[in-house]
Amino acid sequence: MKSFHFSDMLVRAGSALASKLRGRPPVPFSVLYKKFKGILERHNAILELIGDMGDKLGGDYVYDRQYIFDSCEKLGDQVFKLISDLNLLCQGKNVALFAAFERIQTRIRAELAGQRVLSRTDHILPLSELTHDLADEGGNKMASLGDIRNILGFPTPQGFVITAGAYFEAMERAGLRKAVADAVRELCDSDGAHLAETAESLRQAVLDMPLPRELSRSIERATERLTERCVNPDGSSPLLAVRSSAWDEDGESSFAGMYETELGVVGTDILAAYRKVLASMFCEEALRYRLHHGLCHEEPAMAVGVMPMVDALVSGGLYTYAPLSDQDQAMVVSAAWGLGKPIVDGTAETDTYILLREPPHKLVSADVAEKTTRLALRENGGTETEPVPEAERGAPCLSPTQLSFLAKTAMTLEHFFKRPLDVEWALTPGGSLVVLQARPLSIRPAEGCERDGDAAEAAKGARVLLSGRGVTAMGGVSAGPVHLVTGDEDPADFPYGAVLVARHSSPRFAKVMPKCRGIITDVGSATGHMATIARELRVPTLVQTGSATRTLSEGQEITLDADHQVVYEGRVEALCRFELVREDVFEESWEYRTLKRVLKHVSPLTLLDPKSEGFTPESCRTYHDIARYVHQRSVDKLTALAETHKEIRRGAARRLATRLPLGLTVIDVEGGLSPAAAENAGSEPTEADILCRPFKALLDGMNAPGMWDTNPVAVDMGSFMSSVTRTLGTEASHPSRMGRNLAVFSREYLNLHLRLGYHFTVVDAFIGGAMNDNSIAFRFMGGVTDLARRSRRAGLVAVILERSDFLVETKGDLVTARIKKHPTRIMLDKMFLLGGLIGFTRQLDAKLDTDGDVELHRNIFLQRIAALRETRE
Amino acid sequence: MTPDSKNLSDDVTRQQAEAETPRRKTSILVLDDEPIVCKRLKPFFQKAGYEVEAFNQPLDALARIQARRFDVVITDLKMEGLDGLSFLGKVKELHPDTDVILITGFATMETARQSFRKGVFDCVAKPFKLAELLDGVKRIEKERGLAS
Repeated sequence: MKSFHFSDMLVRAGSALASKLRGRPPVPFSVLYKKFKGILERHNAILELIGDMGDKLGGDYVYDRQYIFDSCEKLGDQVFKLISDLNLLCQGKNVALFAAFERIQTRIRAELAGQRVLSRTDHILPLSELTHDLADEGGNKMASLGDIRNILGFPTPQGFVITAGAYFEAMERAGLRKAVADAVRELCDSDGAHLAETAESLRQAVLDMPLPRELSRSIERATERLTERCVNPDGSSPLLAVRSSAWDEDGESSFAGMYETELGVVGTDILAAYRKVLASMFCEEALRYRLHHGLCHEEPAMAVGVMPMVDALVSGGLYTYAPLSDQDQAMVVSAAWGLGKPIVDGTAETDTYILLREPPHKLVSADVAEKTTRLALRENGGTETEPVPEAERGAPCLSPTQLSFLAKTAMTLEHFFKRPLDVEWALTPGGSLVVLQARPLSIRPAEGCERDGDAAEAAKGARVLLSGRGVTAMGGVSAGPVHLVTGDEDPADFPYGAVLVARHSSPRFAKVMPKCRGIITDVGSATGHMATIARELRVPTLVQTGSATRTLSEGQEITLDADHQVVYEGRVEALCRFELVREDVFEESWEYRTLKRVLKHVSPLTLLDPKSEGFTPESCRTYHDIARYVHQRSVDKLTALAETHKEIRRGAARRLATRLPLGLTVIDVEGGLSPAAAENAGSEPTEADILCRPFKALLDGMNAPGMWDTNPVAVDMGSFMSSVTRTLGTEASHPSRMGRNLAVFSREYLNLHLRLGYHFTVVDAFIGGAMNDNSIAFRFMGGVTDLARRSRRAGLVAVILERSDFLVETKGDLVTARIKKHPTRIMLDKMFLLGGLIGFTRQLDAKLDTDGDVELHRNIFLQRIAALRETRE
Repeated sequence: MTPDSKNLSDDVTRQQAEAETPRRKTSILVLDDEPIVCKRLKPFFQKAGYEVEAFNQPLDALARIQARRFDVVITDLKMEGLDGLSFLGKVKELHPDTDVILITGFATMETARQSFRKGVFDCVAKPFKLAELLDGVKRIEKERGLAS
């Protein structure tokens, strides 16, 4: 642990410096100041690095594992130095912060070393926490189901996974891990001699294998909890489905159907079922497949999913791609009464429906069979075949509405997994659709496979609407009608299957992403908030095209090729098909998954509110958190210095003469004041002296007519304000409290703490450098009235900010909002809006008697700000 | 290098290719020992209308260029077994009119500069944008009169 000693050393150096400083004249302000500026710069450099790493997930870049190692190393180094910088500025030790750093760094290194960072040691993962990022623990099949449930939000059964790690441990302890490796190697060397005998002996060994005590206990406990949670309406315990979810199952190699799935398992039989599923990995068929598909050297691993059986009224399968002789663009649904096993096995009579792949998924044909039997759950375990009542035998299992819903669901899954899929589903007696599993269809569109170069040929004939402009935020190809989204639209109305086209990127589009096939914006960044969400949901996304909203028209059918930054007129089938026949999906590669997992320890910001109790070094969970914490502490330090440091009191901190009674002290770090004001340290600078771009825009917003001065009729400002200050009471208006109104700024940077009456606002903004550095963080809290009214006002602020493309979080009367990486002009416009909003809402909570008032004042504000913006432009 | 200096076997390969398809696609060989690079580049260039073969093993790629000529070779600089510069030398020796684009890490950018003397057409540093690489290939096509 090289860095630990290094950190130790630095802590010591820091405290040595601190003790040296004690009893001596204070460090000159200019020195502290330089340190502060250094922190700001490093902070920005860190955010840029984090952004760069996020960029690489977008599909525009090609990177390899070395890149991941190098950038983690570089970032760790910068974060470490940032903490050291803070030590020097505050002359403190910050041991807790270094400890947080070590924790995060250790986690990242473990991810890179291929070790899973599991918070649990009992080898059980609830399905509700599983996604493809954990495909190594949960196996492919269960990880896909996790994506369907946790990312796309479709109903799946509840349940848990016994991880691949559990398998390794059990095999290791039983001495079987090596035995298996030896046996497989021998098979490979001898080209499959004694295959049947080897298979049988391995299988039997696994069936007889003793499970480690802790493992069997935690499996039993998890099973108990699951059966208690999912108890049947009649009070009986649900039966379970125990499914294989091996590493190489459903991935590049299929093993489809070779591994066992145990249905109708009673909770108390869970361990036997677990062993049975594990043992199926060594059945003759699977070993032969391994032998003949060059998988001799890959250690097999099996995770196992445990879920309650869905008591299905109707079950079935769906192939999202079924090229038929007369209809190339079809999907096929098979359905029957009862449980799905006989349908999957192909032993049951089923209804067959053929629908078009394209929305609205027109029904091409329905072939309704005579279904005489169905598979049902037996009360005391297992399943049984029973006769179907006479009247239902010839009836179709699915209504047109149900079919259409099923088709939409399946196509949404296909777009996410970027492959034709075989979807197993069930309809409950209550009529809701549950997805049981989805796996890549082994039959791929034949035509595409033969002529993979044809995509380019076909695309050549299509008219190009947009080309060579824009940045890929998420790669991929998709087609659909254009839907132009403006600021006021309710996302709930977004039409299924359309391509979202908007002027600006906005995190509020998250709500429609599962429904939309692609996103194109005129303005936006590949590492902004929206792009991150688009990548999570794998929606092909092109930002920064400049003119998409003008070039594309509502309802126009288009094909978006985000990889090549091209938009074609109409549906270019060959391109869409090319996407589906790719052998390797980038999102499933080791590099993509590892970078994504590493970034979970790097980029999320969980330390949102600097005033909360949780804003501590101990709570830092990511590098971004540490950067945020250090940044805040250094601003705090500067604020404290402004009040205590002799030099500053004399010079650097000065009162700003404003038209509005802000009682504001300002500290100019660099270039934020006009040269004349900067040189004349004794004077009070005025608003005209402000060169800080974000601050100037904010003041413009505050001063704009109808904002601070909410009465449309002009009033005498002096008397108006005196009435306001009178209502504050002596304590709140006491200078020592008001004195916290402080702005620290440079030409591009602003950190503003503003208490107006009982409202407390914090703005931290960097605007005017490179577009990728632009960011605003806004925090808004407090009020004089009861919590209901204050919450109403918080709600009002939140709605307005969300409309303006901020990423907003609200807790009670606290609102935090962030926006980043838009061009400078737009970011300054946001500052103008914030200024207006601070002014407008200052006294508003007193007027917010009902929820209706919120809407009224929201509309007033939006109208006024729109009018102001027009005149500004 | 002028088109006249093509050797005979090269012409034969070309004629064969032309006989097979009415409009010959520009051919690209990709060599990188990081499988992910091949996995990304191959479908990307295929979709853009190129004929692509990709290799993780330098020796396999070497065998392939001995068997046929490619219009463009895209190779990593640092690999186990055979480095990109030696591969580049081989390519140029066998097919002087094949253009080579070198993929490098930032650390090896200096070596890359030296490689220009060896006749490299362009260098891209990892991580790179797919569009950058496509740009390089398009410039080669333009200079060689390959673009359709």
